Amino acid sequence: MTRNILLRVSVAILFLYFAVALLAPFIAPYGATAIVGAPLQPPDSEHLLGTNNVGQDIFSQLVYGSQVTLIFGFCSALLSVSISTCAGIVLGYYGGSVDEVVCRVLDVLMPIPIFPLLIVLTTFFNPGVVQVSIVMGVLGSIHGIRLIRAPALSLAETPFIEGAKSIGASDLRIMSRHILPNLMPIVTVKFVTASQHFLVMGVGLSFIGLWDTMTVDWGSMIQNAYSGGALSLGLWWWILPPGLAVVGISLALALAGYSLEESFNPRLEVNRI
Amino acid sequence: MIELTSVSKYYSSGFLCRKRAYVVNDVSLAIRKGETLGLAGESGSGKSTLARMMIRLVEPSAGRIVFDGIDLLALKKPALRQLRPRMQIVFQDPDTSLDPRLTIGASVAEPLVVWQKAGRHERDDRVIELFGMVGLQPELADRRPFELSGGQKQRAALARAIALEPEFLVLDEPTAALDLSVQAQILSLVQVLQKRMNLTLLFISHDLQLIGRMSDSMAVLHEGRLVESGKTDAILRRPSDPYTIRLLEAARESEEWFGKDK
Repeated sequence: MTRNILLRVSVAILFLYFAVALLAPFIAPYGATAIVGAPLQPPDSEHLLGTNNVGQDIFSQLVYGSQVTLIFGFCSALLSVSISTCAGIVLGYYGGSVDEVVCRVLDVLMPIPIFPLLIVLTTFFNPGVVQVSIVMGVLGSIHGIRLIRAPALSLAETPFIEGAKSIGASDLRIMSRHILPNLMPIVTVKFVTASQHFLVMGVGLSFIGLWDTMTVDWGSMIQNAYSGGALSLGLWWWILPPGLAVVGISLALALAGYSLEESFNPRLEVNRI
Repeated sequence: MIELTSVSKYYSSGFLCRKRAYVVNDVSLAIRKGETLGLAGESGSGKSTLARMMIRLVEPSAGRIVFDGIDLLALKKPALRQLRPRMQIVFQDPDTSLDPRLTIGASVAEPLVVWQKAGRHERDDRVIELFGMVGLQPELADRRPFELSGGQKQRAALARAIALEPEFLVLDEPTAALDLSVQAQILSLVQVLQKRMNLTLLFISHDLQLIGRMSDSMAVLHEGRLVESGKTDAILRRPSDPYTIRLLEAARESEEWFGKDK
C-alpha cells in the first residue's frame, strides 16, 4: 500500500473512533454501568456483544469506554507535545548556559522508565484519570524536548531567522511565526506517536487497576474479563471486543505516525520496507 | 556612518577557557555615509562574522562599534531593536534567506508588520511598490520561495531588506549563489537602489573584480585580520600586502584561464 492510502485508511479509522466516542449516548443502547440482562449472555440481537458477569451490556461499555480511553491518550499526548514543543523551541532558540544545564538534567531524567514510575506514583497518591493524564503528559515530554530542541537549534541559526532578528522582530514572534511553523511536521508526528504510546499505556494502567475502578474504559473491561475467567471459560465476547478496539486504534495511530513521518521526510521511505 | 575599533570575535575552549580561536582579530575600519566598502577575503577569513557583528547579529568579544554616533555595543536589547530598521542585511544563499513557509509577499511585508508601519491596505500597496523597486512581478507575492528562481528570491530578499528604508545595508556575497547574467542584474539593481535611497553599503565578496566595480573603498581580511584597507582603485592597482597581491594574482590567473577557454 502506498503511503497516501495508508494515511487515509488510518485517518478514516481514527475518525470512526472519535465519532463513536462523541456520539456514545446516541450509539450505546444502554448505560455503561447499568445491569440490563442476565450475566454472561452471548451476543444476540438485544445485546450485540453479549453481557458480562454482572449483566452489563458489553457493546455499551465498549462505546462509553472509548471516551475515557481516547481522552486519556490524546490529552496526555497534547500536554506532553505542548510542553516539549515550547521548551524545545525556547532551549534551541536561546541556547547558552540554561540550555546546557537543562540538557544535562534531561540526560539524567531520560533513562527513568515512565510506566513503573507511574505505578509507584499512583499507588501512593491514588489519583483519578485526569491527574494520571497530567503526570504522564509531563513525564512523557522529557524525550520530546530533546527531539524538538535539536531542529529548533539548527533552525535558529538559519539566515531567515537571522533576517527576522535583523528587522527587529521580537523573540516571541520569531519563535511563534518562524520556528514553530517550520517544526510543525515533527510536532505533528510526535503528537500522533505519543497519542498511541499514551493510549496503550493508559489501558495498561487501567488494566492493573491503578485508577478509579468504577471508571469504565477498555483497560478496566479487559481486566474484568481477565479476572472473571473469560479466557479459561471461552467467553470470547467479553474479552475480545475491548482488546480488538485497543489494537485497532493503536495500529491506526502507528500507521498514521509512520505515513506522516514519511511524507514529511521522504528519505525515510528508502530505509523502511 | 559606521566605525569599528579593534573589533574581535573569538571562541574559547580548553581548560578554564584559556584557548582562544579568533574568527575576527583586532579589526578597525570605517564606512562613510553613502559610500560602499568592499570586504574581500577567502572563505573562512571572517568576512561574514565581521559583517554580522557590524549590525550586532553576532556579539563581538572585544572592541567598539559606533553607528551614526551611537555606541552599538552599549545598547540594551530594546534600544538595539529600535535601531534595527536602520541597518539591514541580505544573505548569500537565497534558498535559506526567506522563510520557506511564508509567501514572498508575507516575507516582504513582515518588516512593515513588525513595525506596524501601515494599515493592511497601505501595507499591500507598499509591498507592490517594493516589488516594483526590485523588479519583481506583483503576481509572485502569493508564491512560496521554492517556486521562485535564485535571482527572484534574492530580489525578494532585497525588497524585504529595504522595506524599512535602512541607511546601512550589508550585502553578504549576494550574488555568489547566482549565475553570471543574474549577478549583473542584481548588482546593477543594488547600485540603482543605493543612489535612490542614499544607502551606505558593506559589500562582501571574494571576487575582487566585483569589489572593484561596486566599492569606493575596500578592506582585505585574511585569517580574521585586516591586512589592507584603503581606496579600491589604489589597492587594486598597487596592493601592498603579500596576501592581497596573491589574491589579485589568483584572480588574474582565473581570468586568463577563462579567457583561454573562450
